[in-house]
Amino acid sequence: MDHARHVFRIVLLVAIILAVVLLARGFLVPKSYGLYGRYRGASVAEQMNLRPPMHAGAAACADCHEDQAKKRTAGAHKNVSCEICHGPLGAHVKADGSVVKPPIDRSFTLCARCHRKIEGRPAKFPQVVLDQHVNGPVEGKVCLQCHDPHSPKP
Amino acid sequence: MSDCHDGCNGSRREFLSGTLKLAGGAVVTVIGGAALASSGGSDGAEASHPGGGEYDWNEHLWAYLVDTTKCIGCGSCVRACKAENEVPDGFFRTWIERYVVGMNDSHVDSPSGGMDGFPPVQVGFAATKSFFVPKICNHCRATPCTQVCPVGASYRTKDGAVLVDSDSCIGCGYCVQACPYGSRFIHPATHTASKCTWCYHRITKGLKPACVTVCPTQARQFGDLKKEGDPVRGTIEHERVQILQGHLLTEPQCYYTNLDKEVR
Repeated sequence: MDHARHVFRIVLLVAIILAVVLLARGFLVPKSYGLYGRYRGASVAEQMNLRPPMHAGAAACADCHEDQAKKRTAGAHKNVSCEICHGPLGAHVKADGSVVKPPIDRSFTLCARCHRKIEGRPAKFPQVVLDQHVNGPVEGKVCLQCHDPHSPKP
Repeated sequence: MSDCHDGCNGSRREFLSGTLKLAGGAVVTVIGGAALASSGGSDGAEASHPGGGEYDWNEHLWAYLVDTTKCIGCGSCVRACKAENEVPDGFFRTWIERYVVGMNDSHVDSPSGGMDGFPPVQVGFAATKSFFVPKICNHCRATPCTQVCPVGASYRTKDGAVLVDSDSCIGCGYCVQACPYGSRFIHPATHTASKCTWCYHRITKGLKPACVTVCPTQARQFGDLKKEGDPVRGTIEHERVQILQGHLLTEPQCYYTNLDKEVR
């Protein structure tokens, strides 16, 4: 019958398309897709272990640098994490245990970032109007010649 | 053609309707097969929580809290974020904005995202107040960025972080446009979407995000809404907190206290 042949052809065609779609899907859709939602489930664990944490917090620094830590926690910079000025611990002590000298920034900018009087800072935060500093205008001068960053006094 | 009008039309109609039915059937089969395949993909052991380690995402629901009155604009958070997450130059996962506001005018700046602090600024109007506003991805509950992703590369985890699967991302940039907070960018090296993850590699190990860890004034806080007695949860529960662009109904999970009307 002619009609039956037409139907057979179309059924065959649809079956081939279906098979190709399912096969392609098997290759293209990641294995863990749909595990937790409409995304690749394995991606979550990958994000958890993307890289080792770089910043460890001031307590970790105190393990080796007890004296500096004590001095700092007793002074006005007790809430200023070591890693703000010296960079992350992960860059100082590498995963294999090797030690790289951390940056010791003694520049004017180091202090000015927090303490230069500018628009925006809360009024009660200690700030220096550079032109009115006790020893005259101090713009660009090294604050650390007089002030100790680990235990600063006004 | 012209000598079999009626008969030919009749059989063509039958043929077309038959084809349509077959096509419909095929579509149902494909969808059913796909649903079966995806449900078959979840095999018991891994399904409860990813990684299979100590960290169980069912036990946490993270939230971020910013007190704008405490921010001094030092940019330590921006630098820490860069170092922690290898954020490429010129792009930011977190940044600080400075608002200088007068009665009729306002001025907003964020030089290098506030990474190197802020210089003094001259505005051409009488400023009456000024303040800093730290910004990050809001990790919205009804997040627009994941909704537009055509390949399922962007998603929200069960513990509340909005993440990008860079292996699946095709870099089309829809999510970058969809985010009303400007929190996403296309990474210049990988050409995939990149954004704040709340330092997912840290928070799943019991640490705080890098920006919160280094903030010297506790302007940035990070907490767990599922944990009794968590200070961030306490503030969100009992104090008056604000969100950015609430009219967009994205349900941000980055909360602010003491926000100004000028801040978007």
